[in-house]
Amino acid sequence: MFVKLENINFKYANNEDLILNDLSFELPKGCMLAILGPNGSGKSTIAKLIMGLLKPTSGHIYIGDEELTEKSVNHLRKKLSIIFQNPDNQFVGVTVKDDIAFGLENLKVERSKMQEAVNQYAQMVDMSEYLDANPENLSGGQKQRVAIAGALAMQTDLIIFDEATSMLDPKGTKEIIEMIKTLKNSHQKTIITITHNLEEALFADKVMVLNQGKIVLEGTPREVLKEKTILEASGLKLIDGLFLIDRINNSALEESQKKVLTDKLWELTFKM
Amino acid sequence: MNDNIVFGQYIYKNSFIHKLDPRIKLFVLLILMIGTFLVPADNFILLSIALMIPLIAVIFSKISIFKYLKSLKQIVFVIFLSFIFQLFGNEGGKVYNIPINFSYANLILAVLLIVIFFLFRKYLPFKMLIFIGLVVLIIYLLRFPLIGDPFKETSIHIYEKGLIHGTFLIERILIIILASTTLTLTTKPTDLTNALEWYLAPLEKIKIKTSIFAMMISIALRFIPTLFNETNKILKAQASRGVDFNEGKFIEQIKQIVSLLVPMFVISIKRAEDLADAMEARCYVPGEKRTKLVKMKCKVTDYLVMLFILTLFILLILIRCGVIYAL
Ligand SMILES: Nc1ncnc2c1ncn2[C@@H]1O[C@H](COP(=O)(O)OP(=O)(O)O)[C@@H](O)[C@H]1O
Ligand SMILES: [Mg+2]
Repeated sequence: MFVKLENINFKYANNEDLILNDLSFELPKGCMLAILGPNGSGKSTIAKLIMGLLKPTSGHIYIGDEELTEKSVNHLRKKLSIIFQNPDNQFVGVTVKDDIAFGLENLKVERSKMQEAVNQYAQMVDMSEYLDANPENLSGGQKQRVAIAGALAMQTDLIIFDEATSMLDPKGTKEIIEMIKTLKNSHQKTIITITHNLEEALFADKVMVLNQGKIVLEGTPREVLKEKTILEASGLKLIDGLFLIDRINNSALEESQKKVLTDKLWELTFKM
Repeated sequence: MNDNIVFGQYIYKNSFIHKLDPRIKLFVLLILMIGTFLVPADNFILLSIALMIPLIAVIFSKISIFKYLKSLKQIVFVIFLSFIFQLFGNEGGKVYNIPINFSYANLILAVLLIVIFFLFRKYLPFKMLIFIGLVVLIIYLLRFPLIGDPFKETSIHIYEKGLIHGTFLIERILIIILASTTLTLTTKPTDLTNALEWYLAPLEKIKIKTSIFAMMISIALRFIPTLFNETNKILKAQASRGVDFNEGKFIEQIKQIVSLLVPMFVISIKRAEDLADAMEARCYVPGEKRTKLVKMKCKVTDYLVMLFILTLFILLILIRCGVIYAL
């Protein structure tokens, strides 16, 4: 197991509510997990706990085989990276190349290697032409791509996308989703993607639905998508394909026909 | 694309001055500042040599002279005031009498000129300079009673010493302003921060975390333009809801400004929290040693410039101490 959460309870200091309630899950190395849930369900809180930015009120978190504690956090963080929701608020550098290098500078990477890495990862996210550009002149999608380059350059084992597309226009969203897909298919990283968009969860290995700090559903995308009532109760917008499947199942068609049609639809849904 | 305009005044040009190491430029500025105050009082020859240095830099920087004038414009009034103080605050040397004859025609002309100036102020470039010129012109015209007899005759005394002191002071200020403007026009703010951090680095040895200050400056440089954009957005949003920041009673205006400040505060605090998370997540530990992507490197020209400035400076000190009597 690469990430393991054990009986996590969490409360913010200034807030009486129990934001996470006895939460446990684990994620094997190289796997991709999608965490779904409505706004305020505690998704970002989970991400920050894994990154060691917050400390659980009770319970344990393990990264690799090591427990995440105040002592181990600085060293374990070198294995972790995260892309946040707001493209502006995570752009630390004054220019693109400064921002890609920021993490490497903290890791005390040698200058020549750093320059190489900056060029390499800028190219990977297709931002080579903008190395000297400053964030004011970039689109949201471009800024998120720079953030991804910065995370990849640090060569971490785990990468978390915390609603990384929710503030982007459709074009930017598509670019980032494509990037996550490519990353997944390279099988080199453990990925956690947090979203309230079902489509972004379709290509994950495992999906987890969170509501009010509790896991209400867990399984493969196919298994989870079948639980229409729970998904709707968790405030998630169903994707079009599911409505059609529903219609077909409730229609007067023969069972064999239903099966052919729904199978085809599932297949198409997952090809998206 | 204006990718090269980062923040502040920096203007990209491919010039020898731009390419100088920011540490050297900072050093030259510092030496010039100290130097202009070490020049013996009223020694115009030495001060003019000092003035040559920023002038040469201005010419070599390939940046339009108007950019420099713009930065001078903002302090023309201060320069003018200090000149006036010096002019009337010093007695000695030759006396020049400027007769002042108040006649009605002169007074009416003066008022007329000033009214015209204020009417057309909007369309004039270099307003302050023109205004100062106008005042000088009016005083000059008071020499001649235009029509009729003056009802009061008096005169202003100007002493030679006042003139000399005043001019000396202007030249001093000019040197410092030109030099610092050249620095900010030709150096990226980030490079300047790096240079500053380099100079402060020895303080790390006595456990003063200068790297944290440098990080703070660079974060500020990063977010000031973003903050500007955000303010504009909020202003526009409120304008579209009918809020007019220029109208209404005083209380209304206060309310409107608060309605701008509150969202700015909320957004900035959220931003600061997010940024802190993002930096920490990327392994930033305040005060810890970091490597740097950009390396500042002194080239031959940098050393030559430094040598040149140091030589001049040492000569100046020798003159000051009376070792050299040449000038
Ligand atoms: N810094 C904070 N202080 C207090 N309460 C917070 C803080 N951040 C989030 N919360 C609360 O915790 C809950 C979960 O937040 P979050 O994890 O951000 O949800 P999600 O990412 O799923 O939208 C929300 O009800 C929110 O109001
Ligand atoms: Mg969130």
